[in-house]
Amino acid sequence: MVRFRGEQMKAFFRQWQLQSMVIPGIVWMVIFCYLPMFWLVIAFMDYSIAKPMLESPFVGLKHFEAFVSDDRFWRSIRNTLGMSSIKLILGFPIPILFALLLNEIRSLRFKRTVQTISYLPHFIAWTIFGGIALNWLGEGGVINQLMMAIGLQDREILFNSDAKYFWWITFFTDTLKETGWSAIIYIAAISGIDPGLYEAAELDGAGRWQRMWHITVQSIRPTIAILFILAVSGILGSNFEQIFMLKNNMNMKMAESLDLYIYNMGLVSGRHSFSTAVLFARSIVSLGLLFMANQTSKKLTGDSIF
Amino acid sequence: MKRNSVKRSLTLLLTAMLSLSLAACSGNSANNESAPTAAPPADATAAPQEEATLNPDEPAWKLDTSPIDLTWFVGANWYAHSWGESLTSKYVTEKTGVNVKLEVPSGEANEHITLMMTSGQLPDLISMGSWETAVKKLWEGDHVFALNELADQYDPYFYKVAGDGTLKWYRQENGNTYGVPNDSYSPNLMHETGMTAANQTFLVRKDLYEEMGSPDLSTPEGFLGALQLLKDKYPEYKGQPMSPFFAQGNVPYGMTEYLQNLLAVPHEKDGKVYDRVTDPEYLTWLKTFRTAYERGLINVDFLVDSDTQVEEKTNNARYFMMIREWTGMTAVNPLLAASANPDSYYIAVDGPQNSKGDSAKLFPGNMDGWMVTMISKSTKNPERAIRFLSYLASEEGQQDLFLGKEGETWETVDGKPQLKADMVNLIASDIETLEKQYGVLDTYWMMRNPVIVNQWRPEKAPVIKQMEDFANSQADIDSGIYKGLDPLGDSEVAVAWSRISQNWEEVLPELITAKDEAAFDKVFASFLERRDDYGFQQVVEFRQAGLDARKTKMAN
Repeated sequence: MVRFRGEQMKAFFRQWQLQSMVIPGIVWMVIFCYLPMFWLVIAFMDYSIAKPMLESPFVGLKHFEAFVSDDRFWRSIRNTLGMSSIKLILGFPIPILFALLLNEIRSLRFKRTVQTISYLPHFIAWTIFGGIALNWLGEGGVINQLMMAIGLQDREILFNSDAKYFWWITFFTDTLKETGWSAIIYIAAISGIDPGLYEAAELDGAGRWQRMWHITVQSIRPTIAILFILAVSGILGSNFEQIFMLKNNMNMKMAESLDLYIYNMGLVSGRHSFSTAVLFARSIVSLGLLFMANQTSKKLTGDSIF
Repeated sequence: MKRNSVKRSLTLLLTAMLSLSLAACSGNSANNESAPTAAPPADATAAPQEEATLNPDEPAWKLDTSPIDLTWFVGANWYAHSWGESLTSKYVTEKTGVNVKLEVPSGEANEHITLMMTSGQLPDLISMGSWETAVKKLWEGDHVFALNELADQYDPYFYKVAGDGTLKWYRQENGNTYGVPNDSYSPNLMHETGMTAANQTFLVRKDLYEEMGSPDLSTPEGFLGALQLLKDKYPEYKGQPMSPFFAQGNVPYGMTEYLQNLLAVPHEKDGKVYDRVTDPEYLTWLKTFRTAYERGLINVDFLVDSDTQVEEKTNNARYFMMIREWTGMTAVNPLLAASANPDSYYIAVDGPQNSKGDSAKLFPGNMDGWMVTMISKSTKNPERAIRFLSYLASEEGQQDLFLGKEGETWETVDGKPQLKADMVNLIASDIETLEKQYGVLDTYWMMRNPVIVNQWRPEKAPVIKQMEDFANSQADIDSGIYKGLDPLGDSEVAVAWSRISQNWEEVLPELITAKDEAAFDKVFASFLERRDDYGFQQVVEFRQAGLDARKTKMAN
């Protein structure tokens, strides 16, 4: 923790204009992230939206029992973990590699163009991007035509109808859409590295690979660690919009993530208490994961969030 | 140095998080909505002096035509019309003083209205699909006015125009009626007019079907034969592969309820609600689809395609057979008939039938209608709202909204109101202008009463009429009573049913893609077992109780 000393306090008040800019953010967070926590109590009630909250009867752990005893809940846990693991293990390094490669490009104009193009898909909503992806995956789509042209397939495959492809479809579409955007934070971190370090290393005879490994990667290590810790704690989350767009009755076995389960079994029927109970349980596990990842990272690399 | 870099990355991270968290957090907080703030004010004491002048035979809206704004929520996210630009809406506003502000949900109507309920701020008028769970919540949660109470107080004329039958149909146990339906059809009316509002049809592409020699599709053999012929002779159309088969609404609708109707699977046997999924005729046909899939005659695209993909294939006439409502084809069919290949439009024919060769028993329109319209207790002007509703329900209001303004959009021919010829031409050529600029016909359907407006409806194009007539001829007029017997909402039985039906959605594709009949039987048997585990018995009892209650209601 940072301890405020007299001088720091003085500096703080001297910059009050700048410091006050954070207030809207704090207010927003209190209203939308902290106050709603109070309503977690409905997880223990039979809450009906048509009545005032306090009139709803307390039912204890009824809703928790309901989902723990549901085989579909466990299936959704498996799917969530499966998709998150692929994303974490294979997907996590991709933006880092992308940022490193981009950093090695000499031509500033080319670098900027590539960067802009790569993060543009991030701004397309999943409802649209998912629709485009579905067309690519369809019988007459790009992927089938490509595979048939290079002779890897002899007939069209409906990729989206086979559950075994689903995790990979989510992984590839997500990578395609988000790599450029996720790389921004690394690119920013890289740009903050003192150029003197590179100059000194070059004088000492370090080659490009050595500079990349010993200077760039080492300098952005804390950023990597923090993002990794957060990624681990988010392992029970999934991209609802993406999965909602790409799922169908035939790939549901592998597609129903925890979020989709909550939607299908909870929100669709208006079971708000049930949904809250599942979310509540998930938050507790996620918090545990966050602590675990943080401690591990602290032990191994010395970098941590808290 | 190290500490600095940690700080720097934290700053970077915070910036990134702030920019992202707006999207992320709001998604999660959807479950944690705030509790209702206050009960909506019930304004029941206003304007006692007017009561003296209320006459049950006189529309009360004429008493007060001062300008007023009423917000109207239409629970259909695809509804794209506005009020105030079209000729019709301007005319109605001028006449009654009521300016409507239409609101549509950005996503799911049910969720949208639920959110509004928690905030206690509802629009003045609400139209919602009669099957939506939120409708019941609005009624039970006392969020909307009892229309009979408002009518007693402000506009007894309402009883005269709203129709005793529909008011009775929606009367709750406490004696109140909270909503008026549109498109509500009583069996008597259907018998009388032959207009049944049935929209289920089995469609084939005319040119291919006729080139094949109009094969018999009503038996499994004929069905498979036609598919084989299609595969051998017409695998492609305009350079794209043909899709041999499509079923609207995917598993729960097209391949279940709808297909069962085509096979005339009964709803009831000896007074007991029949378990239609286990019907042997239905299973025979599911096995036929399995065989077709095994032989490569159909693909599973109809089970996985997104709406856009379906639309694209439809617009390019790439389907051969479709289990599809004709109402969804009214825009496409005339276009196909006017295309370079004018015979590539779709016609209704006899599709799959049971082994006895019975003709289909299609769902007709029913008493529930399509949407119900309610007046919320958030409104500051309940008296204007009820008067406006009774105006819209009356013959005058129906005529104003459906035909527009006399002399401009319609004229009297042989003593009967009739749309002008240029309007009728627009129906085929430019329906968008017709609805946007003039706002006649089905633009504002929230209070549409088919009994009244169908007499003014212009004759439909032949390519549409063929499908409609086919559906009408096969409608099972008295089956409206069986529609929507399944439990909805968050009760235990509703949850059981939702688990069963969601499971069925996954099981049916497995049945069709099963490698042989033995595998099919095994998958189906395990579904039946799971269904019992999930509490199917409760659902059966619920359906039975619902049906019995409806029968008593109809008898009274």
